[in-house]
Amino acid sequence: MITCEAFREHFTPATEDAAVLEHIRSCDVCLNFAAEIDADVLFRAIGGSEMVPPGGVDAFVDDVMRAVRIRGTENSVATNVLNWPRKLALAATVALAIAGATFMTAHRPAPAAPQIAAVRHHVFPTSKAAARPVIENYDSERATIVEVPTAGEDVKVVMVFDESLPADL
Amino acid sequence: MTNRLAFVLFLLLAVPGAVFAGEAAAPAPADAAKSLSVKTFQFKHKAADKATAVIKSLMSSEGSISIQPSTNAVVVTDRSENMKAIAAALEKFDTPAQAFKLSVRVFAASRAEGTGRTPDELRDVAPTLAMLRYNSFESLGSAVVDGHEGESGIVDLNTGYRADFRFGDYDPATDSVQVSDFKVSRLQGDQLTPLLKKTTMNLKLGQVVVLGAASKPQDARALMIIIAAKR
Repeated sequence: MITCEAFREHFTPATEDAAVLEHIRSCDVCLNFAAEIDADVLFRAIGGSEMVPPGGVDAFVDDVMRAVRIRGTENSVATNVLNWPRKLALAATVALAIAGATFMTAHRPAPAAPQIAAVRHHVFPTSKAAARPVIENYDSERATIVEVPTAGEDVKVVMVFDESLPADL
Repeated sequence: MTNRLAFVLFLLLAVPGAVFAGEAAAPAPADAAKSLSVKTFQFKHKAADKATAVIKSLMSSEGSISIQPSTNAVVVTDRSENMKAIAAALEKFDTPAQAFKLSVRVFAASRAEGTGRTPDELRDVAPTLAMLRYNSFESLGSAVVDGHEGESGIVDLNTGYRADFRFGDYDPATDSVQVSDFKVSRLQGDQLTPLLKKTTMNLKLGQVVVLGAASKPQDARALMIIIAAKR
């Protein structure tokens, strides 16, 4: 085997020199030196360019392509298996969102105006009853009717001042 | 794992679907309440045209009343939610004519120097009368008259004073009876001098009403009529 000095003297990129390639197989320092100049030098050194797979290159290529197709089919099946629950979950979410929105709309409290109207209908008779005057009508246009405030509800005092009445009542 | 997930998702879809299917089949209560309904009420004891006053305040803006004098009935159109209260009010309204007693006391009121004079008949209202400018009261007579809703009455006092009136309708909402065409006159010779012109009053049962009449507020004299309606 040649020395390291001899290797470095004779080494050239893409060399096929058997002595040079043999040195690389046993000397890591020179291998690193040579790889920086020619990256394929180790491949040639171990006889890679002359290697043939079992059954020939065509058989090897067929095996590789078959493996690629099987992997592709597996990936396709795996993708489909994962996708339909996701699609279902998405559909369920959308359906729930629509259902929720519709449900909230259907059960939304009545608008404020009808509520107020309803309350007014119930309250109005009471307030009307409370505000009902003692004198509802008096047959004179020149009269002034004064309801005198009293402490309680037991006695009510109403004065009618009517200029058409005689003064000597 | 996949089957469980699918089952859960199926439930999530199926339950809301069932809920909405149920809602679609039956109308919402709010919508049902808002729908208009028509009902006919026929009266045995009261006039149909007076029913409008009873239910007017209970009706919505969409409601309407149609009076049928020939059958003494009203046809009410209103929201279903209001119809219950309207029916209850009309049921209370259509009761037989109720009997009442009307007590009338008439006094001549004046301002007198000193402490004045308040007769014993006015003891129940004396504290209230003290608020008025009159301090001397002279009894002109009193009477109690029985009557029913719709009937007329006369209070004829021995002193020449007389009161005419008519019992109106009883209002259960205010527990009051209306006394209409109430007027007080004084018989002078052969002529009746009106002292109080036709008055329509709402008398709450058991409540005492002091009704004063004068020509002007500064007059030294006034007519005081104390009225109370009872069952």
